[in-house]
Amino acid sequence: MTDTTTQERVSQRVPLWRDVVVLKWVTQIVLLFVVLSVMWFLASQAGDNLRARNINTDFDFLERPVDIQISEGIDTHPDTGGRALWAAMVNTLRLSIAGIFFATVLGVIVGLARLSDNWLVRRIATSWVEVLRNVPLLVQMIFYYSAMTAAFPRLGLETGPINGWLHVSNKGISMPRVHIADGFYQWMVVVLVGVVAAYFVRRHRQRIQDVTGANTSPILWAVGTIGLFGLIGLFVHPVFSWLGSVFSAVADLLDSLPVAVPQLLFSAIAVGGATVWIRRFVSDHRSARGHLSLTDDDWFRIAFVAVASLVVVFLVVRWSGLSAWTLNSGRDLFEVLADKFNVDGAARPFDAMRPDIVQPGKFPNYGKNGLTMSVGFASVFFAVVFYTSAFIGENVRGGILAVPKGQTEAAKAVGLRRGQILRHVVLPQALRVILPPTGNQYLNLTKNTSLAVAVGMSDMVQVGTTVFNQTGRTLPVVAIWMLFYLSCSLTISVVVNWFNVRMRLVER
Amino acid sequence: MSELSSHTGNITVPYTPPPETPKLSPREWVKENLFSSPFNSALTVVTTIILLAVFRGFLSFIFNPVRQWDSTATNMQLFMTRAYPDEQYIRVWFCVAVLLTLTGVSMAVWQAGSTVPVAGLGRKLLATGALLALLALLAPFSASATVQWLAAALAVAAIGEAIRRFAGRGESERTVSSLTVLVVTLAGLVTSLWVVPYGHHSYIAKRVPRVLAEPGTVALTTKLPWTIMLLIVVAAYFAGRLMRNRLPTNPTRATLLMLWLLAPFFLTYLVLRDPDFDMGHVLSTDLPIFAAYAVGGAVLLSWLTRPSTGETGRVVAVLILVAGFCTFLTPMRQVVRLDMLLLATFALAAPTFAGGPRARRRYIFGWLGVLGVMSWLITSINTPSTVTVPGGFFIGGFSITLFIAFIALVISFPLGIALALARTSSMPIFRQLATGFIEVVRGIPLITVLIFFSIMVPLFLPRGMHLGEVAAVAIGYVLFSSAYLAENVRGGLQSITRGQHEAAEAVGMTTAQKTVFIVLPQALRVSIPPLVGHCIGVFKETSLLAIIGVFDILYIGRIVIPGQTEFMGSTRENVLFVSVIYWIFAYQMSKASQRLERRTGLGER
Repeated sequence: MTDTTTQERVSQRVPLWRDVVVLKWVTQIVLLFVVLSVMWFLASQAGDNLRARNINTDFDFLERPVDIQISEGIDTHPDTGGRALWAAMVNTLRLSIAGIFFATVLGVIVGLARLSDNWLVRRIATSWVEVLRNVPLLVQMIFYYSAMTAAFPRLGLETGPINGWLHVSNKGISMPRVHIADGFYQWMVVVLVGVVAAYFVRRHRQRIQDVTGANTSPILWAVGTIGLFGLIGLFVHPVFSWLGSVFSAVADLLDSLPVAVPQLLFSAIAVGGATVWIRRFVSDHRSARGHLSLTDDDWFRIAFVAVASLVVVFLVVRWSGLSAWTLNSGRDLFEVLADKFNVDGAARPFDAMRPDIVQPGKFPNYGKNGLTMSVGFASVFFAVVFYTSAFIGENVRGGILAVPKGQTEAAKAVGLRRGQILRHVVLPQALRVILPPTGNQYLNLTKNTSLAVAVGMSDMVQVGTTVFNQTGRTLPVVAIWMLFYLSCSLTISVVVNWFNVRMRLVER
Repeated sequence: MSELSSHTGNITVPYTPPPETPKLSPREWVKENLFSSPFNSALTVVTTIILLAVFRGFLSFIFNPVRQWDSTATNMQLFMTRAYPDEQYIRVWFCVAVLLTLTGVSMAVWQAGSTVPVAGLGRKLLATGALLALLALLAPFSASATVQWLAAALAVAAIGEAIRRFAGRGESERTVSSLTVLVVTLAGLVTSLWVVPYGHHSYIAKRVPRVLAEPGTVALTTKLPWTIMLLIVVAAYFAGRLMRNRLPTNPTRATLLMLWLLAPFFLTYLVLRDPDFDMGHVLSTDLPIFAAYAVGGAVLLSWLTRPSTGETGRVVAVLILVAGFCTFLTPMRQVVRLDMLLLATFALAAPTFAGGPRARRRYIFGWLGVLGVMSWLITSINTPSTVTVPGGFFIGGFSITLFIAFIALVISFPLGIALALARTSSMPIFRQLATGFIEVVRGIPLITVLIFFSIMVPLFLPRGMHLGEVAAVAIGYVLFSSAYLAENVRGGLQSITRGQHEAAEAVGMTTAQKTVFIVLPQALRVSIPPLVGHCIGVFKETSLLAIIGVFDILYIGRIVIPGQTEFMGSTRENVLFVSVIYWIFAYQMSKASQRLERRTGLGER
């Protein structure tokens, strides 16, 4: 093959139907078209069917009265659908957060026990894991539920292992609770000041340590500072009561702003953000000599960002309600904050209450004072905690086993003590292995709380089901579920990823 | 806290379990493993006390005279198949027999089982006897019952000790196949059916538990069927050994795998559902359509797979795809449309499998096989069933649990691979669509998906099309499972090194060929452990069927049986039984996956 023919071949254009780039894009656009048309078809079918059955898909049930009894939580007889879903959401979040905390503690214990020197402890931990991991969560939950309802006594005025402190009955478990009181927000401001102070204290101690090499324990000092401020704050927090007037001034300001201001602000943020992103992206892809090389994918990203920012601007301008809503909720937020500071100066930040039993009618019930969880809540809680602890235990065990033996031996050779080895050598390396799968377990736990519907505990899914059974708004409720669970997942992933990145920095 | 951290400090060194050396005397063993340090001793004492208390509580729960264990025994049939008609119950046993035959043959062909030392078996029996004795002492029995249980425990321990002595006599260590042990155990269990009065195990609508001893229909007895089943397994095993010796290995294994894959469909839709085929319709409509597609498709594919067929072939394939979509615009039989889409898929994939006459023949046979199975399935699902049961679906109980798990896995497998490929693809729209789908599905709980599908699917269907609730829910399971499966496969795909891609490109493979022949086989092999974990997960998640009111095993154990007048409030007994059933299956699967990992050396890279 001579040079000239090669030249000719290069100069010849590839025909359109053989050009890989063209073919790829055509396939993708065709697929997109197919997906969109299938979705459009299904949506139009659903629309026809819904109209034929007189089912609405609007969200006004959030404002309408519903007849729902919620098993526990901030509101047991909500007056609107929205309030019911809100109370249910609080229940789900309580369950998830408490579950994540206790599952982690128990999981760490199980993981360590599986590696114990003690044969008996090891065996018990292994059976714990193998039994709980291989029985479906729902089955466990239902078993705990039926066991508890059968085993716990009926509630009477004298019920409880320790009457007035701990009540256990088939209406639930009630115990004392510590709760935040009126002075809490003023106290929080003092603590925030303490956090700022702690930052400087830590930096100072760290600098001394870097210079002299002496162990100045900066973290301990920082924590101590915050603790000190918290302690002092218990007595001096009323000094911050003037913040209330500041917040109400901000609320008034937000109330007087025209809608155009947030509209302009959002549009500027969208367009400005997109411009900055595109410029940075392009300059990142420019070689040292200024040659720009972008793949299809890169072009797609640029186009996507540009179009997305324009869509945002369009939405903001088209629906001024969005901006008005932002203004209104901002005003409401600051009004609420102002309210929180508008308290009696001597109000305590914290308060404690003991559980009580009341009998207004025929049957005794738990009063409002205690920390009460229904049997349904307890069964979901124990089920998710036990089930997840088995998985977290396996993660912990795997993570610790993944640290090479040489690391511990080297640390011993350098003369570190056992606690130091654990804190500075083993844990940082083990955590890198443990964290990602454990984050996944947190996600699973949050989603698994939705099984509470099987034992009649009022979580998001149970209340949502009742709401759409009463109002017929299935699609909106499903949309709310998706939004709620997706944002939970997103939050947990963000937090876990943040820790992951920090852990990765430990590496070289 | 300090205790905890010092405890952690102990175990930072990777722990290797102590080898079972008989040389260590019991005293030394106890000292080393239970009382090596003061902390350890305290731990041992505390855990022993807790353990004994837990055991005692559990035993007094089980052996409480208030417990209605006969509710479980009587409703065994309900648990397994729900209201499957008694007079057709032979079909259920036929299905069990087919599955057991396949099991036996596969165990022989894959050379399952290992050799276990007889002395070890004896030691295990001895330990079991000791444990039984301990439990008998703990349980709240009457004196005579305690003595009986103790005697049984001692007998077990004595047998174990005898075996141990007997095995330890010779010079060489005596071993026995683990399969023999298994068969002996099963034979013992089956014999116990003949000897031990377990109670009735049939519950009929008239609410009079029938006495089992009378020689009634097959439905009312399990003694004889299980005896026959045991014989079938053993016979199948020996047949499998013959096959292993006489037949070439790889085709036999491939055939067996195909049979395993087809068996659930065949058994559920042909045997259990018993379609009432209208042969006139089948002959006049279904067979001609099948024949037309088979012949036309075979001719077309044999032309498309010829290496000399160039771009024209691709154009033709695309035209067939377009034609497949166009069939949806005019009214016609659903079969024609689905077959057309299937043909388009095969036509589009044809150039990837182009090659010599052997490869082409194999591809055409593949087409005929898939088309045949699909046509048969469509025909039998569309034919009314002769089995009449109350409720929506013809099976229930544990059968539907297994059925849904199988369907979800089999259908979500190709879907999940496609999603994983799309997500790792360089084409942005594919990637975004796949990523969006996977992340959304993984972000929401399964129960919301199931509720959505069980309620909303009828609304999304065009008028005149119906989908049973179980089918709608199965779609939900498939979509959910495919998103998780895609993530597992993606992990495997990312572990394929760049060199593999480059080498495949260097020998001139197309992207499709590279994916099918180089990347996917390696990626799937790597992702076997997470895939088995996924199978266990799907199996456990089938319990959610109970929430949406499908009569699965959990629903029957929790709602149906405690609702029978004789067995009011027997929820705990039956839910415990259900959890034991789930546990046995899930635990066996996880053990099998661990064995597989060890054998193939997966997971230790």
